[in-house]
Amino acid sequence: MRARRIIFALLAVAMIAVMIWRPRLPITVTDSTRAVFAMIDALDSNAVVMISFDHEASSLPEIGPIGAAIADHCFRRGIKVVGLALFSEGNAIGYDLLSRRAIRQGREYGDDWIYLGFRPQYTAAILGMGEDIGEVFATDYLGAPLSRLPLGARVRNYEDIDLVVSVADGSMPTYWIEYAANRYGEKVVAALSAVMVTSFTPYQESGQLAGILTGLKGAAEYEQLLQSPAAGVRGMAAQSAAHVLIALLVLWGNIEAWRSRKRRAA
Amino acid sequence: MWWETTITALLTLAIYTILVGDNPIFKFAEHLLLGLSIGYSLVVTVKSILIPQAIAPLGDGQWAALIPVILGSAMFLRVHPRLAPWSQIPLALLIGAGAGAAIPAMMQARVLKQTAATISGSGTVDGVIILLGVLVTLMYFVFTRRHTGAWGRAAVAGRYFMMIFFGATFAYTVMSRMALLIGRLEFLLSDWLGVI
Amino acid sequence: MSMLRDRLTILTAATAGVFMVVQYFVTSPGMDATYRAILNWMQVIFACALMVGIAAVVKNHIVRLRRRRAERPYSLVLLASVAAMASMGFSGGIDQGSSFLWAFNHLQAPMQATVFSLLAFYVTSAAFRGFRARSVESAVLIAAGLIVLIGRVPLGEQISAQLPAAAEWIVNVPALAAKRAILIGIGLGMVATALKVIAGVERTYLGGR
Repeated sequence: MRARRIIFALLAVAMIAVMIWRPRLPITVTDSTRAVFAMIDALDSNAVVMISFDHEASSLPEIGPIGAAIADHCFRRGIKVVGLALFSEGNAIGYDLLSRRAIRQGREYGDDWIYLGFRPQYTAAILGMGEDIGEVFATDYLGAPLSRLPLGARVRNYEDIDLVVSVADGSMPTYWIEYAANRYGEKVVAALSAVMVTSFTPYQESGQLAGILTGLKGAAEYEQLLQSPAAGVRGMAAQSAAHVLIALLVLWGNIEAWRSRKRRAA
Repeated sequence: MWWETTITALLTLAIYTILVGDNPIFKFAEHLLLGLSIGYSLVVTVKSILIPQAIAPLGDGQWAALIPVILGSAMFLRVHPRLAPWSQIPLALLIGAGAGAAIPAMMQARVLKQTAATISGSGTVDGVIILLGVLVTLMYFVFTRRHTGAWGRAAVAGRYFMMIFFGATFAYTVMSRMALLIGRLEFLLSDWLGVI
Repeated sequence: MSMLRDRLTILTAATAGVFMVVQYFVTSPGMDATYRAILNWMQVIFACALMVGIAAVVKNHIVRLRRRRAERPYSLVLLASVAAMASMGFSGGIDQGSSFLWAFNHLQAPMQATVFSLLAFYVTSAAFRGFRARSVESAVLIAAGLIVLIGRVPLGEQISAQLPAAAEWIVNVPALAAKRAILIGIGLGMVATALKVIAGVERTYLGGR
């Protein structure tokens, strides 16, 4: 128990020290992030991007910055945004995030962006929107009939949506791939919590996913491309330090184990 | 505002007290969080689904909305010991429809397209490694056959591929967890204390 | 009665399942309308299932409030916060500036994120105590993990340009191969399970029978 507490303290001290010191590390943008950025950058201002907040509040510090960077990119370019959530906590997170960013960029609710709200049964929601978004979401997050909002009346189904971005901390993009991409031919990007990345590379390689963004590192890369550093860029020094600390602890643990084995053998 | 940031910061610290052991401060924060989450889900479920999808259509005289309302209400029979089995009927609709939707979707997304990508990508060195990796890993999962001889050696190779996958996943797990801690520390040090 | 009910349950699952498979391949106005209706029903049923879950937790804590003296303050906190959040959401709305969204942003979301950030401490402890190279296989796991761990952060890029390239290769070639095989295996397994549900062979969702 004592050793465990020492390790806990070591991690806390190391992270706090690096965050206060804040060394600047150059961030290399990966091809995957560059491809997603280019995809959104190539859309014209009349295009519609659907951002689905498929995560709980638990992963907000990690993937909130990616959702924010994508929303900023869309609003900055005048691309229309349709927000929704397939996880209940994602509902308030998505609305809060989009509304703050829309105000900052001078975008109007109803014309430039709308927020559909939350649906819990993801299979039914994703399939249903392939037929008629207005039938799945008769009203928006605030209870206004979708047909009375100009953007709401314009998007009938996936044919009117140029790209879906699932900001997810679990396997929800799988269902976007299975039901929206494969069945309705929708282009899907997954903005993922890093822990899910290895589960989704096969989908990207097979062309079923149009792109992957990876955790806080992905946000840092995206912010770099947007030339507006925020939480992602700020977190990279501490992220690097934590990874080095873990690597050293793994090596140290193994050396200790090897030594004690040698002592026992002697 | 400083006072609201302070409330959030104190609750954050209350959760972190679990690192030194279970204690009443943590238990208070834990129950507060659970209660808020339940209250939140209640509001969101009623406002986002039950009102627009069930109550409002009934109010407008759309009697077809009675079907999901009756099926949904049957779920509440779960609280009654004798009537509880009747709640399995709406559950059966959910599970049956989900299973039916999943069959073509999964066959296409997980089996056919993944197999096609494995074969079509095998024109490069990496593509050949992926093809061999997929084959030997699949061979490892065939438990109806003894893992001896050439098959056994292939299954062992499959295990090595999986170890590499688990190693990479471990690294990404660390990446995720650290990002969460960075977010909370950033809040405490920057938003609350203003030291960074 | 119970046999009739069980048959009705299995028939419901089978009919819904067969319908969803058939409508994937066949389209007609009638089928499309039924398909949309079923998708809508699924939402309402699922929402009701959520409500049942919420009611069960609340009931459990009301019982605890009455019977367990030591746990009483905690159950009281839980029930009060359920009531507070619900009344804020139903009476004050859920838009920007509402007390509901304030409580979510300043209390619920940060606490939830903090609970999950605890995992950073536990994963650090596990890295020191659990990741031991006791065999060639575990050594391979650790080696792959360390390369990806260092190669995926900016500091790794400063150490050597080869590290990010090696990390990328590990993720996009051998790890991808293993995950793809797992995906294919799980895909086949889930299709088989789905078929068993529709055929009425798989009935564990009826309560373990």
